[in-house]
Amino acid sequence: MFLLDASIMGRRQVARGMFVIGMHAPEIATTVRAGQFVNLGWASGPLLRRPFSVYRADGEHIEVVLKAVGLGTAQLLAMELGDRVSCLGPLGRGFELAGANAVLISGGLGVAPMPLAARDARAVGMEVTWVHGARTAAELCAEAGGDRVIWATDDGSQGIQGTAVAASPDAEAVLACGPNRMLAAVAERWPHAQVSVETYMGCGTGVCLGCAMPLKRGGYDRACTEGPVYRAADVDWGALPSHLAYAVGT
Amino acid sequence: MTPGVSVDIGGLRLGGPVLAASGTFGYGTEVPLLERRALGALVSKGIFLRPREGSAPPRIAETPSGMLNAIGLQGPGVEAVVRDYAPMWAEWDFPVLVNINGESASEYGELAARLDGVPGIAGFEINISCPNVEQGGLYFGNDPRAAAAVTESVRKRTKLPLWVKLTPMVSDIGVIARAVESAGADALCAINTFVGMSIDLNAYRPRLSFRTGGLSGPAIRPLAVHLAHQAARAVDIPVIGVGGIIRAEDALEFLVAGCSAVQVGTATFVNPKAIAEIHDGILGFLEARGLSSLAELPRYLPRD
Repeated sequence: MFLLDASIMGRRQVARGMFVIGMHAPEIATTVRAGQFVNLGWASGPLLRRPFSVYRADGEHIEVVLKAVGLGTAQLLAMELGDRVSCLGPLGRGFELAGANAVLISGGLGVAPMPLAARDARAVGMEVTWVHGARTAAELCAEAGGDRVIWATDDGSQGIQGTAVAASPDAEAVLACGPNRMLAAVAERWPHAQVSVETYMGCGTGVCLGCAMPLKRGGYDRACTEGPVYRAADVDWGALPSHLAYAVGT
Repeated sequence: MTPGVSVDIGGLRLGGPVLAASGTFGYGTEVPLLERRALGALVSKGIFLRPREGSAPPRIAETPSGMLNAIGLQGPGVEAVVRDYAPMWAEWDFPVLVNINGESASEYGELAARLDGVPGIAGFEINISCPNVEQGGLYFGNDPRAAAAVTESVRKRTKLPLWVKLTPMVSDIGVIARAVESAGADALCAINTFVGMSIDLNAYRPRLSFRTGGLSGPAIRPLAVHLAHQAARAVDIPVIGVGGIIRAEDALEFLVAGCSAVQVGTATFVNPKAIAEIHDGILGFLEARGLSSLAELPRYLPRD
């Protein structure tokens, strides 16, 4: 785990309201695994850091993807090139990649861990199908990639009309990220799927116990440390708060 | 020459005045990038006799310059502490105190008796101020007789240093401070979190599942400095200041206001190196002012 002052190196739009930010974080770029995250803080920002899955890592740089959902993310998006953010990571437990083929299922901002997952899966010889869904074509992340890409939109404006889960083929490894209700649907169809969950987090390092994940076996563990990637059937989806912004995918 | 910063707190000699607050440093094994040289002492996550699951999520909510938490004292119970953590603590070069909790005065005493004499446990911090449990916690902290009864119950079962962590949710902290001093406390920690609430306007309900939570962070610092100062004026035992310390200057405010040491909590969540930076900042301040030790720091502590 590293704590770095990282310069913002670039910003680009990848869907309506969705942006990728690149930063110079060499130690993290070389060690991060698919599904892990970084916790970002910045001067004059909110008190607590904000967690982001690593979207891409290349050489000395990492990227994260975000939407302006609150004051913190708006500040991050307003930063100039060369501005510095404090970057803590890589954090959490990522995806385990094994088998002949993988399907990556992402809903909206759930695209976040998938480019790295596709890279690492292909690196171990897996054939990758990426199914990406959103409400409309304009909200689909333009950068989905793999051996095969399937698009799904609620309004049918691009690809299959319906959900990404419904549009997905089966595969040996199923990796998913998106709103909790989407991940609950993944758990129904593929109990062994690996899903990356989103929760509020305090420290991101396992100390504060703020990111409690309700488990089917009872009790809680820490999304930041034992997660954020879980076996879909292990999470007690019904016990997760349903009224939060992150839970309903807005 | 580096200024001397070791301090004596109720029978414990600490290498420095900056301590890790309970619940913000786990059991000492979780915090990454820990610089032990800077840590005066660690107060463990609060424990009960039995394991506790903790509260349902959401457990935390960010507020202006602060955070609300309602973790609910999730923990493995006393036997796991004895088995899994104390042996490690015994090897460490800074003292570890256990933050103890109970639903009755006798349960606190029972917990202290179980831990007394276990190698690795240097003392106790009695938590009579947790706002996030249904039974006990804050109930003991806002009544001088109940606070004294808990302190006595623990005092009878151990000769180890005994600190009592006070709640700010009282009309006169001096009354509680004197009550637990008389009951045998060796030092006080002032203060625990304030009880707060934040509402989700989309859901028309509290943002925390426990409804209320404990407010910490810079938002409470001036309140905490005042209450720690009031406690220090009321008693002869040392007071450890805690509440919203982010930088060395914040810690120095508590020290000048009459505290003998400080605890750092929420800052560690934001910056895993906070304690080391605050420790070094205090050294730098003393050096810049030409003070050869922390004992020479002028204090503002008129007696009541």
